[in-house]
Amino acid sequence: MQYKPPKEAYKGMVREVTIGKGEKSMKVGGENILPLHLFDDGTLPNPPKFALEVLDMEPADKTAHLIEPFGNTISDPIQWAKKCEGFGVDAICLTLISTDPSEKDSSADKAAELVKRMLAQVKKPLIVYGSGDEKKDTEVLPKVAQVCAGENLLIGPVQKENYEVVGKAILDNGHVAIAQSPLDINLLKELNVKLCKFLPPERVIIDPLSSALGYGIEYSFSLIERVKQIGVITKDSMTMMPIIANLGDECWKTKQAKENRTQGLLWEGMTALSLYLAGANILVLRHPETLKSVKETIGR
Amino acid sequence: MIIIGENIHVIAKDVSVAIRERNEKVIQGLAREQTQSGAHYIDVNVGPMKKDTEETMKWLVNCVQEATDLPLSIDTMNPVAMEAGLKYCKKRAILNSASGKTDSKAQMLPLAKKYHCNVVISVMTDKGMPPEVESKIESIMETVSHANDLGIPNEDIWVDPIILPVSTAGEGQKIAVGNLEFIKILQDVLPGVKSTVGLSNVSNGVPAHLRPILNRTYLVMLARNGLYSAIADPLDEELMAFVKGELPQITDLIYRAMDGEETDLSSLSQKEVAYVKTARILMAQSLYSDAWLEV
Repeated sequence: MQYKPPKEAYKGMVREVTIGKGEKSMKVGGENILPLHLFDDGTLPNPPKFALEVLDMEPADKTAHLIEPFGNTISDPIQWAKKCEGFGVDAICLTLISTDPSEKDSSADKAAELVKRMLAQVKKPLIVYGSGDEKKDTEVLPKVAQVCAGENLLIGPVQKENYEVVGKAILDNGHVAIAQSPLDINLLKELNVKLCKFLPPERVIIDPLSSALGYGIEYSFSLIERVKQIGVITKDSMTMMPIIANLGDECWKTKQAKENRTQGLLWEGMTALSLYLAGANILVLRHPETLKSVKETIGR
Repeated sequence: MIIIGENIHVIAKDVSVAIRERNEKVIQGLAREQTQSGAHYIDVNVGPMKKDTEETMKWLVNCVQEATDLPLSIDTMNPVAMEAGLKYCKKRAILNSASGKTDSKAQMLPLAKKYHCNVVISVMTDKGMPPEVESKIESIMETVSHANDLGIPNEDIWVDPIILPVSTAGEGQKIAVGNLEFIKILQDVLPGVKSTVGLSNVSNGVPAHLRPILNRTYLVMLARNGLYSAIADPLDEELMAFVKGELPQITDLIYRAMDGEETDLSSLSQKEVAYVKTARILMAQSLYSDAWLEV
């Protein structure tokens, strides 16, 4: 008797979202299968994308093996971003950490101006994260959205506390939102429901918060896995968005990653690979060596 | 459906203050209101009650009984408080509750025999809450058999599958569905036993204004599967309307949602739509979020 492997077909499909414009654009999502279920009935039109993170100020953490690949560009975000382009990224992720009131509390105008300059000088799509201070982000992110109107940036985090203001600016200025909620699938869905009352769901990417290996990665893994299952298997419209795993910074905060180079690369690499397996569509890393080794591993 | 009125509950601030200050007016007010609203039993939940146990229970039970002719449900985990309460009950009471835990089997179940009362037995064991329907059934069969050996007949046993909040990260909905299944098969595995649930727990953690519709919908669903009684809020008029069978149309819509039938929501009133959506959430047909009525 001939063995015929079972083949599943699913009714849901992750929405295909375009980030950036023209030459400088990428598509994510669009799959109607579970992560890596390439043997099932369906397609993965857009394999997961990788970004490297750039900070808008010289990092306070001077861990040598983390900053070494970027040389002295770390004091200039634009040069840093250009350096990243040389490492084979799909996108650049700029974090406006200096706007955090507990950092430099730098102004929304200054941040927006930097984003605009970077946009002019890099050739890859841009992901822009505010500091995560939900109050300050209501100044910073709308300003970024306005100044870069029509550029289709991926902007976040849009949170429960500020989704109306930030979401509205993203809608009005033609960008894509990163909807972020604290590691809970019910809260994640609630935010998407509220956001999608005025923002088309094709303009939303989910950030479920990514924890590092040893620091709660299990939660992130099962959450990403579950969002994918509920979207693809049960066709829940409010979880059928692509997922961004912003994990680089989380990994490099750990003492294990800081301790030595090999350990650091493995720490970030294992975290990235795990969340890739769970179903992340965009992975944001810090270290170019990790990017290289993760891509190699996947390539095999 | 037998409703055990839940409102005399020590977690409520006014109740705990009233008990401490021996304020009969507050306690009796709650007892009367619940009686007038159609409750069949009055639950007296005193928590662990570590201080002046005997004295307080005597006062409280007598206080409630002066205000109502309804039988009581004595609700505490403390066997000393339980016995003190049962001793003063004039009508056949409910011991609320015992479980499969070793301590409970040794100290609570014998009280049910001694006072010849009804007894709520939950599926809890020393290992905690059994995770699956099968393990819940297994555990309750064992505890009920132990109770039978003590001379407590099935007819006096009210089985409690333990309701948990539907809103807890993912698992809550699975458990809600499991408990519906549990109630459905209970009569087959333990003929003659009764059943009860702490209904309001299903909506614990949900924004206050959204809790009643979850409680009501879930009660209708459990009742369809054979639930005998519920510890619930009799002051919720709409809940009591369902209990009395006064809302057959919405009840039918909830049944249809349970059966996975597609209902054309555009032909329904806003209220009916809300009940259908809530039933779908409780059947885990769609992922829970606090915004479930807005989807």
